Amino acid sequence: MSEQDDKKAFFSRRVDEHMHSLYSVAMRLTRNSADAEDLVAEAASRAWTSLDSLEDRERFRPWIFRILHNCYISDYRKKSVRPVEAVYDELASASDDSEIAVLLIQQPDDFLNWWANPEQEVINQLLGKDLHAAIDCLPEPFRVVVVLINVEGLSYDEAAEVLGVSPGTIRSRMNRGRTLLQKSLWQHAQDAGLISRCNTMESSS
Amino acid sequence: MTNKTDKPDQLDSDCLEAFDHLYAYLNGELKDPDAVAKIEHHLDHCRSCFSRAQIERELNARLKQSGNDTPPESLQNRLKKLIDNF
Repeated sequence: MSEQDDKKAFFSRRVDEHMHSLYSVAMRLTRNSADAEDLVAEAASRAWTSLDSLEDRERFRPWIFRILHNCYISDYRKKSVRPVEAVYDELASASDDSEIAVLLIQQPDDFLNWWANPEQEVINQLLGKDLHAAIDCLPEPFRVVVVLINVEGLSYDEAAEVLGVSPGTIRSRMNRGRTLLQKSLWQHAQDAGLISRCNTMESSS
Repeated sequence: MTNKTDKPDQLDSDCLEAFDHLYAYLNGELKDPDAVAKIEHHLDHCRSCFSRAQIERELNARLKQSGNDTPPESLQNRLKKLIDNF
């Protein structure tokens, strides 16, 4: 087998291995299946042309995620017309983590009571599509961190490598992203009628 | 465990510090043993933060399960064709 064949076999194997993850991340970034498909194909194409720059083949996963993210930034982000909803503005723009913690703590009682009440089995009622819908509402910097770490299982260091930021920034975005996710889940649960189902369960018990 | 309630206004500075480290702790990214010991001690003694941590653990598990967007066959074919042509 020639060196080129060996390189192609490695690339093909690794792309195949990570195709689900790449597509899932692309879906959460673009929030559109056609764009997600184009984004993965574009990332694969760019990855192949720069494969020689991958010094450690064991680092293929963060390396190709970084290429995917860069493709998204350069070619797809401008197409996204969905605005950041006002409900997230104050959390997304808070200046530091302690401010985020205070904002989380100041969330309305009905939210906290619903969220923290084990009898309502909120978590168990959430389907994959509910989680996706809630994640899709997050502003991009927080959405991508939650997806890379909590959905795809990257470490903070790997996520920092993918996004070209420090691990400290990842940690901060994680705190903020998860706070926002709670708010998004609450909003989604209301829209999907989960809240009324919970209230029915509670009043009938 | 102390008798703190889940009422947000009863959270104190220890809770704020615990929140600051909570996700790193739950994600296995809190490397400093002293910081780990401190947050575990806090979670053992604060019902509110303990409950929040339990919820976040469950949400972590659900998020991990949720990442299963199946790539369409068209993408699989497209990538195969792309790589074949490299």
